Amino acid sequence: MSPDTSDRDPITNQSLSLLLLISALLMVASLGWALYDEFYGLRPWKAYEQEFAVKYSAFLEKQKPKQEAAEKAIKTSPGYQALQAQADALQKSVEPQLRQLDEQAALVDQRLAVITLKYTDAHAHVTDMVWRIEHNSGSSKKSWQSDLTEFEKGPFKYQAVSLSDGRVNAESVDYEHLEDDFKALQAEKGELLVRKGDVLRPVSELRAKLQSYFKEHMDGLTATQIQGLIEKTRSMDIAIKQINLPDAGIIDRCESCHLGIREPLTITAKDMGGERAFVSHPDPDLLKIHDPDKFGCTPCHNGNGMQLDSVKQAHGEYEHWLAPLYHGSGLKGVSPGAYMEAGCQQCHASDMIVDHAPVLSAGKDLFQWRGCVGCHRFQKYDTAPEDLTAAAQTLDQNAKQRAQDLTDAAKANAAGDRAPDNATARKDYAQAEDLRLAVTKIDLETDQINRRVKFLQMDRKKVGPDLKEVRAKLRPEWIPVWLKNPHAFRPTTRMPRFRLDEDELPAVAAFIWQSGLDVKAPSQAPGDPAKGKVSFESRGCMACHAVGEGANAVGGWFGANLSRVGEKENYDYLVRWIHNPRERSAPYCPVEKRDLTAADYAKHNLPYVFDLDHSKCPNDGAELVVEQMTPMPNLRLSWEESRDIASYLMTLKEKDPSSYPAAPYLNDPKLKAQGREIVQRYGCAGCHEIAGLEDETRIGTELTAEGSKPLEQMDFALYIRQAKDDGWWTPKGFFEHKLTRPEMYDDGMLKAEGEELKMPDFFEPQNGDITKKWTPKDLPLESQQQIAELTTFLMGSVSPRYPSKYFHLPAGQQKDIQDGWWVVKKYNCMGCHQFTLDQSSVLMTLPQYQTPDGKGQLPPRLVTEGARVNPDWLARFLANPALSDNDTDRDGVRSYLKVRMPTFYFSPIEVRKLVRFFQALSAQPLPYIPQKLEPLSTEEIAMARALFTSKGAPCLKCHAVGLPAHDQYASAPNFLLAQDRLKPDWVTHWILDPALIDPGTAMPSGLFKQSDGHWVFNGPTPPIFKGYEGDQASLVMRYLFELTPSEQQKLIQMTGAGMSAVPAKSTSGLRREPASQASLSGMRRSAGR
Amino acid sequence: MDWKQLWDIISTPDNIPIAAIAVFVPFYSWLALRQARANDRLIAQLEADPQLAKTHHRKTQPWKPGWLKEVHTWPYLMRIEFLAALIVTVILTVWSITLNAPLEELSNPNLTMNPAKAPWYFLGLQEMLVYFDPWLAGVVFPTLIIVGLMVIPYIDANPLGSGYYTLKQRKWAIVTFGFGFIVLWILMVFIGTFLRGPGWVLFPLGKTWDPTYQPYAVNRDLPDLFHITSMTGKSIFGFVVVALYFLVMGLALHKLITRKGLNRKIYERMSLIQYATMQFFLISMVALPIKILIRLLFNIKYVWITPWFNV
Repeated sequence: MSPDTSDRDPITNQSLSLLLLISALLMVASLGWALYDEFYGLRPWKAYEQEFAVKYSAFLEKQKPKQEAAEKAIKTSPGYQALQAQADALQKSVEPQLRQLDEQAALVDQRLAVITLKYTDAHAHVTDMVWRIEHNSGSSKKSWQSDLTEFEKGPFKYQAVSLSDGRVNAESVDYEHLEDDFKALQAEKGELLVRKGDVLRPVSELRAKLQSYFKEHMDGLTATQIQGLIEKTRSMDIAIKQINLPDAGIIDRCESCHLGIREPLTITAKDMGGERAFVSHPDPDLLKIHDPDKFGCTPCHNGNGMQLDSVKQAHGEYEHWLAPLYHGSGLKGVSPGAYMEAGCQQCHASDMIVDHAPVLSAGKDLFQWRGCVGCHRFQKYDTAPEDLTAAAQTLDQNAKQRAQDLTDAAKANAAGDRAPDNATARKDYAQAEDLRLAVTKIDLETDQINRRVKFLQMDRKKVGPDLKEVRAKLRPEWIPVWLKNPHAFRPTTRMPRFRLDEDELPAVAAFIWQSGLDVKAPSQAPGDPAKGKVSFESRGCMACHAVGEGANAVGGWFGANLSRVGEKENYDYLVRWIHNPRERSAPYCPVEKRDLTAADYAKHNLPYVFDLDHSKCPNDGAELVVEQMTPMPNLRLSWEESRDIASYLMTLKEKDPSSYPAAPYLNDPKLKAQGREIVQRYGCAGCHEIAGLEDETRIGTELTAEGSKPLEQMDFALYIRQAKDDGWWTPKGFFEHKLTRPEMYDDGMLKAEGEELKMPDFFEPQNGDITKKWTPKDLPLESQQQIAELTTFLMGSVSPRYPSKYFHLPAGQQKDIQDGWWVVKKYNCMGCHQFTLDQSSVLMTLPQYQTPDGKGQLPPRLVTEGARVNPDWLARFLANPALSDNDTDRDGVRSYLKVRMPTFYFSPIEVRKLVRFFQALSAQPLPYIPQKLEPLSTEEIAMARALFTSKGAPCLKCHAVGLPAHDQYASAPNFLLAQDRLKPDWVTHWILDPALIDPGTAMPSGLFKQSDGHWVFNGPTPPIFKGYEGDQASLVMRYLFELTPSEQQKLIQMTGAGMSAVPAKSTSGLRREPASQASLSGMRRSAGR
Repeated sequence: MDWKQLWDIISTPDNIPIAAIAVFVPFYSWLALRQARANDRLIAQLEADPQLAKTHHRKTQPWKPGWLKEVHTWPYLMRIEFLAALIVTVILTVWSITLNAPLEELSNPNLTMNPAKAPWYFLGLQEMLVYFDPWLAGVVFPTLIIVGLMVIPYIDANPLGSGYYTLKQRKWAIVTFGFGFIVLWILMVFIGTFLRGPGWVLFPLGKTWDPTYQPYAVNRDLPDLFHITSMTGKSIFGFVVVALYFLVMGLALHKLITRKGLNRKIYERMSLIQYATMQFFLISMVALPIKILIRLLFNIKYVWITPWFNV
């Protein structure tokens, strides 16, 4: 037996009260906790709302005195006071008039009150009786009729005020008079109101002026408005604030915590005691276009809009939410908020340039420029190859169908010949006819497709140069050096490093060398490098090409940096290239799949000539590839100038080409097959034209919806654990790291030869040490920025999650603009021209264009080009900027510029896109129907002549006239072009105030002044103008549009001696605005004399 | 040792009960056994002293003068039960406040989670899926378990040990239940929670779950070892093996039961049907760990292959 010391029964004598009490208390406490949790713990947004109400009203209270003071300052300012006094005085002056009107109105009201009562009653009776008459027949109709007549006689008696003397009289009238009186009174009342309004109008106009004066000067909200906000905030409901858009499945409760987002003031975190959740939207303009009530928050920002449990969950930053909030930056070189722009891409995928999203737009641009499209398909990018394949298929089908139809037609004909009776024969013949008709239709369609194929061939560009030309173009020893690491030779090159090992490198080099066409560029005499340098710097080459490395680089980024071009090029080829970069050594036939030789042409007794006008294959009639697929245009330079530039470029080198080690293996035929296999594996043909690999397709994965790829499907390889621990296990982290060092996901993996990741290295670490592993942080800032831009673009490229009505699918002119941007970006038109006000061209930033003379040499701004030029002319100009077939070494419009508008050999497709683009940028309607101008009378012509040749308006001084001696000093286009080229409206605006359209133009402003509602010349008017009533600006404009060469000759003769000996200084002095004003004031002075 | 991962597993709300089981099952087993030992000592005392046995009226406490002969349910039992109810309510309330349900967002049909685990209480069943056909592991065995639990009262021929803890009087039943509950259920849940990683691969405790880890595991069927290729041959072979197992195991268990003392007495009180039922469920139950072992040790997938099911 256990030694139980007590005899007390452990069951009956034990008291559990204390335990029970404690448990009960615990239970009550837990219940309390549960209630708290229910009301606050699970609903953190309540605390946010309470905090916001307190902080925001405190913030507003602080704003109020400031705004009140500002308000007071405005109200006490003399301008406001004067207006106020004026308004008050006016108010006082109309006061008696108003009083009188009010008295009269009161009288009318009194009388109307009595009559209305009487009339309403009588009218109801009449209406009732009329209905009965209309709906009865026979005797009852008649009886109602008589009743009505009786009733209308009245008399209706009432006591009403008389309008004339204001006394109350007893009146008695019949129904008709009653009705008339009622209506007249109503009319009178209305008229009195109108008169009152008329009297008051000047006053209210002044008051409106006062108000707008106030608004103009008031910065921010008024004290009253702020008071309203305070009251609104104080009485705010503590409730979930939700945007619900059922059609898109958007339920966004973000504003339950982000309460300040739509407030009309700028609220910073500092204003709210450091609480970043309460700031106002940083870009209110963006919010205006995307009303949150229509778009919600998550379509742009991502995150879990429905969640309110915690910040982390609401932002979607947890494992189970596939669209976490787009956050600000991660890398150093990236502007804060950059990645947020990824949210724009889903709906703005069709836009090349997205406003408010510079990073995303840059990413879109980079995707093309860096050559990502060479390996990765992305919708809308580089569609020409696909279109060409489709066209080739259609052509093939058509050919088959045509042959079939012809056979069938012959058969039907034969059947008709043998037919037993006429009816059958007729039917057979008809069938044969139909088939022959079908053949015609096919033929016409084939013609169209062939034309389209030709255009597509013209538009097709490759990121890299044509490798068929290597033997003519390059020094062989340079190729392996380049392939080993292109960045070492040219740090800014677009060509990435392919990590070729010792076996692969010679094989690839040998294949490229041996697959090149065995051609030579015609040999050239040496040029003058000094002259070449001048040409290179003035012809516009530097809009795309830079010379100098690193910080010393001067010039554009679009084309290759030419600092060491002398180490690699063959002089002869370079001359040909500069003369016309599109010139090919041999045409390529896509049907035969080979490059044609002179023998092919000789077989058909044709000269070996192939260009855009001779682009049919002599063997099979297919459209040949006759141009090199480079965006570099033809500058139409003479052979001599080309030689000079080439000679200059050949001097650009760091070391002598002869110091390169020889590479005898390039001609080793054994290496060729291996090299071909490697070149194919790495997809080199995506960016380069390579003989034998013309039909290679892209080797990379399509990226159109890469941002939607589940994280689990992204191959982090051995980095998965590290990525999770370091917080980059996200699509953003994957893209960033992949772009930084693509081979990182091979680290530590055992892979068979040829199975390694193929994506090459586009970026290199700051220290240039590629033997060690590097991370995004080791890259130069510029590279980090590019990576951020591309990452933003890729993150945003998701498969659509919302109905299409939410997407921005540009139509009409908006579409024209976006289509145009593709072309503009493709050819780097922005290297020379300015299209929008916020963009500057490369040339504008170069040192040689900073001087006054240099600025005058800048290519024209194209901000209002669409309004300026006739679209038909523009199309002609774009196709042939020389505006001449014979004299091509010139600029069609601005012959005075050294910079040359080159020939881009745009296809009609692209010309159309560009023309529409310019028209749309200036909101000009298409098609353009020229305005009909009133022809000038003889007197008017004489007047115009007088004006054009007067000393006050030396138009021909600057404008080219076609005389070489004069034109070398000219700084403006020839007037003869105006008729074809310009739009009359624009010309009028231009001659009135050119500085407004093109700030800094050489054309002087203030040539005309307003007088009696029309424009007259602002200077000494020639005597012939005496008595002329018409608009003189319009006269000049109409004269310009009627100008003929002979008329111009007349003008030249009339101007006479002043023409030829124009000193260069004075023309250039006219160029800048201050200078032009100076010359104008000089002009005025002379007028005074 | 990947402590972070271990902590992640333990701290997942879904796995809290399992962490609790790891503590509570041993504790309560120990508590029950302690009580059983005390009772066993009392039983021995009573058996030795018939006088004491006559006066003793409470099953687990030795009698003392002045004690009530019987204790009423109310209030003596109810108040304890009420106390327990209070404490459990508090625990559940606090639990539900502090740990939210591990609910996830809308499923993504393009994505299967890896590892995809059943709720913790079904992990034992999921573990069985590794070793048996789905319809056996998912349908037949659960049914057998439920039926087996249901038949316990009907095959229990032991009149002793009802209403108090005892080991001595119910050794057979306690060992059998302990095997079934702790080994076949709790252990399997534990394995499923802590050791099964991505790809349902068996990771040693604390080894990092690497989705790319592919240990060598090529399984074969028992008939293959004997070069039996035809389906009929395999069916017959498997049947013979399984039948042999039942026979041998039945005989062994029979030997064990009828060896001595109490078990033999209980055996004698049982009808043939009761005994056969007990034998069937016992043999089936023992088969489960045997199957697991031959899989893990010999890489043998199936023993009995038929066109309709595999065992």
